[in-house]
Amino acid sequence: MKKKVVAVLLSAIMAVSMIGCGSSSDAPAPAPVDDNAKTEAPAADKPEEKAEEAPASIGESVKGELTVTIWDEGQRPGLQQIVDDWSSQSGVKATINVVDWNSYWTLLEAGATGGELPDVFWMHSNVAQQYMENDLLLDLTDRIAASDKIDLANYYQGIVNLYQSGGKQYAVPKDIDTIALWYNKTIFDEMGVAYPDDTWTWDDFAEAAKKLTNEDHWGYAIAPGNNQEGFYNTIYSMGGNVISEDKKKSGFDDPNTIKAMEFFTNMIAEGSCPDLATVSETAPNELLCAGKTAMSINGSWMLAGYRDNEYAAANCDVAVLPFTKDPSDRVSIYNGLGWAAAANGKNLDAAWSLIEYLGSKEAQIKQAELGVTMSAYEGTSDAWVNAVDCFDLNGHMQMLNAKLVFRPYSRVTTIWEDMMTEKLKEAWTGEKATADVCMEIAAEMDAALAEE
Amino acid sequence: MKRDSINKVIIYFILIVFAFIMIVPFLWMILTAFKTTAETMQVDPFVLFPSVWQVENFSKVVAAMDFVKLYANTILMIALRVLCAVVTATLSGYAFARMNFKGKNFMFGIVLFQMMIPVQIFIIPQYVMVSKLHLTNTALGLLFPGLVTAFGTFLLRQAYMGLPRDLEEAARLDGCNIPQTFLFVMAPLTKSSMVALGIFTAVFAYKDLMWPMIVCPNPKKTTLAAALANMSGQYSQKYPELMMAALISCVPMIILYIIFQKQFIEGIATSGGKL
Amino acid sequence: MSRMKMTPREKNETIWGWIFIAPTMIGLIVLNIIPIFQTIYQSFFKTGDFGKGNKFVGLANYQKVFGDTEVWQALWNTVKYAVVEVPISIVIALILASFLNQKLKGRELFRTIMFLPMIVAPAAIAMVWKWIYNSNFGLINNMFGVKVNWISNPDIAIYSIAVIGIWGVIGYNMVLFLAGLQEVPRDYYEAASLDGASGVAQFLHITVPLISPTIFFVLVTRVIGAMQVFDLIYMIIDYNNPALKKTESLVYLFYKYSFEQSKKGYGATVIVVLLAVIMVLTVFQMIGQKKWVHYD
Repeated sequence: MKKKVVAVLLSAIMAVSMIGCGSSSDAPAPAPVDDNAKTEAPAADKPEEKAEEAPASIGESVKGELTVTIWDEGQRPGLQQIVDDWSSQSGVKATINVVDWNSYWTLLEAGATGGELPDVFWMHSNVAQQYMENDLLLDLTDRIAASDKIDLANYYQGIVNLYQSGGKQYAVPKDIDTIALWYNKTIFDEMGVAYPDDTWTWDDFAEAAKKLTNEDHWGYAIAPGNNQEGFYNTIYSMGGNVISEDKKKSGFDDPNTIKAMEFFTNMIAEGSCPDLATVSETAPNELLCAGKTAMSINGSWMLAGYRDNEYAAANCDVAVLPFTKDPSDRVSIYNGLGWAAAANGKNLDAAWSLIEYLGSKEAQIKQAELGVTMSAYEGTSDAWVNAVDCFDLNGHMQMLNAKLVFRPYSRVTTIWEDMMTEKLKEAWTGEKATADVCMEIAAEMDAALAEE
Repeated sequence: MKRDSINKVIIYFILIVFAFIMIVPFLWMILTAFKTTAETMQVDPFVLFPSVWQVENFSKVVAAMDFVKLYANTILMIALRVLCAVVTATLSGYAFARMNFKGKNFMFGIVLFQMMIPVQIFIIPQYVMVSKLHLTNTALGLLFPGLVTAFGTFLLRQAYMGLPRDLEEAARLDGCNIPQTFLFVMAPLTKSSMVALGIFTAVFAYKDLMWPMIVCPNPKKTTLAAALANMSGQYSQKYPELMMAALISCVPMIILYIIFQKQFIEGIATSGGKL
Repeated sequence: MSRMKMTPREKNETIWGWIFIAPTMIGLIVLNIIPIFQTIYQSFFKTGDFGKGNKFVGLANYQKVFGDTEVWQALWNTVKYAVVEVPISIVIALILASFLNQKLKGRELFRTIMFLPMIVAPAAIAMVWKWIYNSNFGLINNMFGVKVNWISNPDIAIYSIAVIGIWGVIGYNMVLFLAGLQEVPRDYYEAASLDGASGVAQFLHITVPLISPTIFFVLVTRVIGAMQVFDLIYMIIDYNNPALKKTESLVYLFYKYSFEQSKKGYGATVIVVLLAVIMVLTVFQMIGQKKWVHYD
């Protein structure tokens, strides 16, 4: 009996396998992949499966679903609400997928090479230029011109410009971020140090960090990868620069840049910052959440993460960054994401409609109100300050009035930023003199820029 | 006899030490999964057991990740890969072991060659194919690299090599043609090797990370392994929740394994493994 | 064998043979062989963004690889990992398998436990071990009161990773050895016991030689596997980690160049180098097997 069953099974299997396994597998697969069946099948048994590929144009037939991909889980719930608002107007469903930062770029890279990107996704200064030049992003210029919701003059200019190439606009600004000083009130109280305020200089900051250090915790924590959330701010505040205006030359050989980098080398050497081994195993923001560091410099996008952490919500607050000589050189390195669409998307009209909505004043206000992020639309972020009770977000808001420097970027930012992180380790472990490392970074960065 | 009992003690000692090492990470996963974040980062005193078992970590993680869906996707992918691997490898393994035909050695050389190649070489070209077939974010896309298996072909060839020749002669004398001989006489005899291949395929499919990450980025369509890797990038400050997710992802596998462990180990054990 | 006409039986066998291997061979050629040539082809190009606008550069990528200390360091890291992981996991698995092949109380339980790590997702393994190794909050340092940077000290991080590799693969090796041991006739051991051979002597003179074909199989496949180590390093060694340069493997570099820096041509070159290394290692093992592998 048993033998017979096996034999029958095998012969059945074999019969199918003769024509190749590709077809054999659609017998058990529940997801039909028949392209023709889809046209008349009105979202019968597996609505999502089919809908994704179905061409839907806004207004007439509304059976499409857009894929939206982002990298920050903290922002997803709020953004999904806003996207749902749009869905209820347009009738098109859109679901936000979150993929972590590293996988996100792998995913886009693979999608760009193979030809299938998400319908709507975030763009970032690191790679925007590459994506725009290769026509991977939908050219929004004409649609923006025809739109009554989007006027590019309403947004912070640095972000608008970032997503321009060859006179065309490829993304609508989503948000603006500022950098501020997060600190642990409990540790400050315990060590008898006054909370940071707008009178602090970077030297005060280093001084306080030293006082806040004991066996249980450090004063401040920084990792070599904390560029925007760390040393970039200090570099520009002290009069140095990371990359020249024309993006042809590195600023790491500038004496002021070197001075800023030495500032952190010294803090680590003195022990007011943990060594690299510690921060590479437990990131500075995690140390803050564990009560292991008194201060951490972070971007406004970290709000959701800190809000959802019981310890941070109970013990931490946020202040403006220090300045160097006088308040006018208080610097915040800012950046802003853009909403972009795939140039070869299946449903360009719906994708544009979603982007247009996300960039509209209404949605930008809601984004701030929900505490997702500050918005790129100027003047819509006031509500953000009240988005949470546990922190006084004026620390971040006031940084909008500081000297705003756009996050340094070029065509292939990642290559020289990775190199910078790698080299900085040598300076911060004390293996090599910081000045020498900076000169090496400058040389390699110049070479990378020359290749662009 | 005394030497025997000393031996037994040493053997048990070594076994227990290794069993302990094998199990500690699992225990630590369980303990951490029920702590508060603060407890995980407390060192003085170091916290071994959670003071209050944080059961709500479970509901938090289940709310954030759709484990039912992830399990369904993973099981579907495993089932498809196992089916394809067993069918194609049984056929080709038999042909390579028991039939003589022109080009056989060259073709078998290709099979051996494939086993030596780092899988990463294939990933980009395979991704492009899947993308052109519009199979990204589908079960078939996940199946794709598992359509055929060089390893399985090799394993089944070994199994058929070990069977006596006269079986086929007898079948032939009875008037069976080649497919009949294969189906009714030979294939049933290598069932245990098929089981072994199925198990290996399932384990490797379950653990596959890079492929689902690239081909199935949609969190609703992807596999457990990829969703978990993705989560570890997302929740870096929340170790208990990470550990809870890891725990939820492996408990059903462990239960399945304990239930089927006899077949599991015997299946592999009978397959041998000679090169 | 004659070069003349095939007998009907030979013809029949040829036709069915090809039909039987067709699904596998078509699959392998489309999915694997063609991609290999595509990748090798690509290694002669400087790829433009997203694989567009490729420029033929001849052997320039290979010249660059030979002068690239990062690649050599990565190869060295990979070799260190393999040299630790493969022999140790084989020896431990072999010993455990020979124990568990005897009649022992709790044998099933031990087998089950040893195999547990095999059925855990790599991300879960990485998360747990990363936390166990953590120099501040980790289990090891706090239990033993030591302060070792297991995964961020450049001198030891690769070995810490190899320990995880060993932990994860012992069960797999062990099961294969158990399989091999099934074929060793019981009476060999009985005879040896009567002769007064100790357990260790039996292990060395009966078990090891008799299952040497299985050991060889495990060795070859594990060397290939270990040379491709990626998941663990990718998930445990953070980008800020001072040990990164001393732990990244060739596949890690391939991933970094191909996906993170979109230098696919150079990434392809790195992986072709790995392919060459693996092939050389495998050929050496094939030649070396004659000295110690006993086929009955």
